[in-house]
Amino acid sequence: MNPRPLKKVKQGLLSTLSLLVVVSFLLTACGTTATTEAPAPTQAATEGSPATQAPATVEAPTATEEPKPLPAITILINESPWLAGFEALVNKYVEETGNPVNLNRTPFNGMLEKSRNAVQASESEFDILTLNEQWYMQFYADGLVTPIKEIKPSFELDPQIIEYEWATRWDPALGYSSQNGELYGLPINGNIMLFFYRKDLFEANGLAAPQTWADVEAAAQALKNDEMAGYVVRANPPNWEFQAFLASYGGNVIKLDEQTGEWEVNLNSPEALAALTTWLKLGRDYGPANYADNGQAEMIALMASGKIPQMVLVGASAPDFDNPEKSIVIGNVAAVPVPGSEAGMNATMSGIWVMGIPHNLPDERKQAALTFLEWALSKDAQLFYAQAGAIPVRQDVYEEMANDPKRGWWMKAMADSTPFIHAQPRLAETPQIIEVLDRRLKQALIAEITPEQALLEGAKEIHKILTDAGYKVKPLAD
Amino acid sequence: MNLSSSAPTPRSPGLVSRIGNFIDRTFQYWTIAPLVITLLLLVAYPSVQLLRMSVSEVDIVKGQTVWTFVGAKHLETALQDPVVPVAFKNTLVFVIAVVIIETILSLLISILVSRSHHLVGLYRTVLLIPLLVPPIAIGTMWRLMYDYNYGFINQALALIGIAGPTWTASPKLAMPSIILVDLWHWTSFMFLIILAGLESQPVELNEAARVDGATETQILRYITLPLLRPTLVTAVMLRTIFAFKVFDEIFLLTGGGPGTATEVISLYIYKVFSGQFRLGYASFLALALALIISVFVIFYRRLAQRTTA
Repeated sequence: MNPRPLKKVKQGLLSTLSLLVVVSFLLTACGTTATTEAPAPTQAATEGSPATQAPATVEAPTATEEPKPLPAITILINESPWLAGFEALVNKYVEETGNPVNLNRTPFNGMLEKSRNAVQASESEFDILTLNEQWYMQFYADGLVTPIKEIKPSFELDPQIIEYEWATRWDPALGYSSQNGELYGLPINGNIMLFFYRKDLFEANGLAAPQTWADVEAAAQALKNDEMAGYVVRANPPNWEFQAFLASYGGNVIKLDEQTGEWEVNLNSPEALAALTTWLKLGRDYGPANYADNGQAEMIALMASGKIPQMVLVGASAPDFDNPEKSIVIGNVAAVPVPGSEAGMNATMSGIWVMGIPHNLPDERKQAALTFLEWALSKDAQLFYAQAGAIPVRQDVYEEMANDPKRGWWMKAMADSTPFIHAQPRLAETPQIIEVLDRRLKQALIAEITPEQALLEGAKEIHKILTDAGYKVKPLAD
Repeated sequence: MNLSSSAPTPRSPGLVSRIGNFIDRTFQYWTIAPLVITLLLLVAYPSVQLLRMSVSEVDIVKGQTVWTFVGAKHLETALQDPVVPVAFKNTLVFVIAVVIIETILSLLISILVSRSHHLVGLYRTVLLIPLLVPPIAIGTMWRLMYDYNYGFINQALALIGIAGPTWTASPKLAMPSIILVDLWHWTSFMFLIILAGLESQPVELNEAARVDGATETQILRYITLPLLRPTLVTAVMLRTIFAFKVFDEIFLLTGGGPGTATEVISLYIYKVFSGQFRLGYASFLALALALIISVFVIFYRRLAQRTTA
């Protein structure tokens, strides 16, 4: 064998390997540089819109002229219909205080993953996390966000800020959000459900604004025709709307006995069956042909295109019915609190967003984050926020906005709904409970199983979830 | 005079020379070692982690990952989980349906295109388009097309006086609707592989058969298809693996509904992992899925070996 070609091959391979090693080192070096750079400037460069960054004059203040701006904060915020209002609020904060803020705008589906990644890092890239109703209890329970009083011991929550059945608090002893719990998060979006109806059609048919589900059914009967369904239920996902029906019948999915610390699973109760029967009747008998396939977007489209006369939907969808680019029913939609099984038994579910400050931040960044939140929750800021199209979280703002010529028609309904706000189950296991609810309700909606089966099987599964997680749970009722 | 001491003794090889010989002998191994080690690490580390997670509860407390060994608890949970059998059944139905239909369709199209003498490039380009579209766009596009009120399909049906069905809301139609989207998306993948197999076949055999008086059907039956068998087995194996992992289309079109009509195992793993944050249980389900896919892969490999033999 001629050794020369082999030698050449060896040399070539060695050269290639050496090159690969050098390239690897270079790439590693570049990677390290990228990850060790301060996150805030990177965010500012890539994600922060010019409007949300501090004005140039603020970036280089002289020591004698103005107080030094706080460090830049980065907020993880979801891309949603109220984002524009939130951006306006942030711009106003930057303008007023000179404190720079970057926004990391993220679609709903990436929010939870980004939040989890942030709290697992040695230092969070975000100073404020925006947490959904169904997630924040995990962050509270595992200490992943900082208790507000740890940052500022003198902090007191303004009583005008609605707490949405203590969505802001966590009681580690109970493992639940309760009035006596410690303050972990502050609400930023006060989404609750409202009942929307076509006031022009109701008036034309001599119908009053519904107060009970029987009123809703009577209206559905009167208004249903070939061009229009009588009612539409939210099927994707169904749990939220169903829980309002359930609460309006005096029922609940789970309930904590604060005296004994025991949990009760009540999904298989007579109240739940009555609620499910009503929900299914309205959905199937008066719904559109695709009654099992409508989510929030489809429902907004149905109302805005004049194909539905009434429905329960999140308050934040109200501006869509006034949007000339989307709606042909401008000025004809009205809102009231979600009806009840009987008058006065109204119930609306909280579907809010809270803001939490990650545990893994240096104190200076935590202080800067809390400064923003305190400002954002002040009455003036919340009024501005509401006028910018977002959903405020203060009762006094709702009451004042009830007279607003543009948004008053639904802001009044929001103000009137506050006494009827109910919370969804708020445990670390909530996502599992919600999965069970959604699956069983969908099965009942498409008649895959009976309502009784759906509730009983769902109750058994939820009972098992709680038992396996180590909660004290009362035996299921027969 | 001591003769023995004066005789030239062969020099024992020096250390440098021995090292040189050793490097020469083992040079090929050293050269590929970095790559092999890197690949092993890339494959082995996640696999071991997956295995470890599947027998553990994994929680994040105060930013720290806390692992608790739970043994076969997740197996017990899976056996009691009412969604798991439904999800596996739906996955199997989906896999069998799409693999069989796509194989037949792509085989037919490939044979027609390979025998066509005109516009072959155009056919190939057009048939390739669905494969180039991102799954997220495909899901969104079909979601809009299937929409009961505003979708193109129902509007087209309405033009000829037919009231369109609720494509994704009906428990009976939802899975067929998903399968239709998958056929649109993935048939071109099978087509490409099979066409490559057909084009690599020696034309002399066909010509010889024709000279011997064989009909086109006989050529297809006795020459083309037997020669194509190894390619077909590979294509079917790859498609089976991909079909088991179906996610995007179902996530966007039905989210697993209505009810549990289109709940497949990948989607359920996503819900358990991302929605419920049960990392251990999700890992166990992922491992179970990987094992099932492995069984199919072994089956196909045996089939391929037999075919080759």
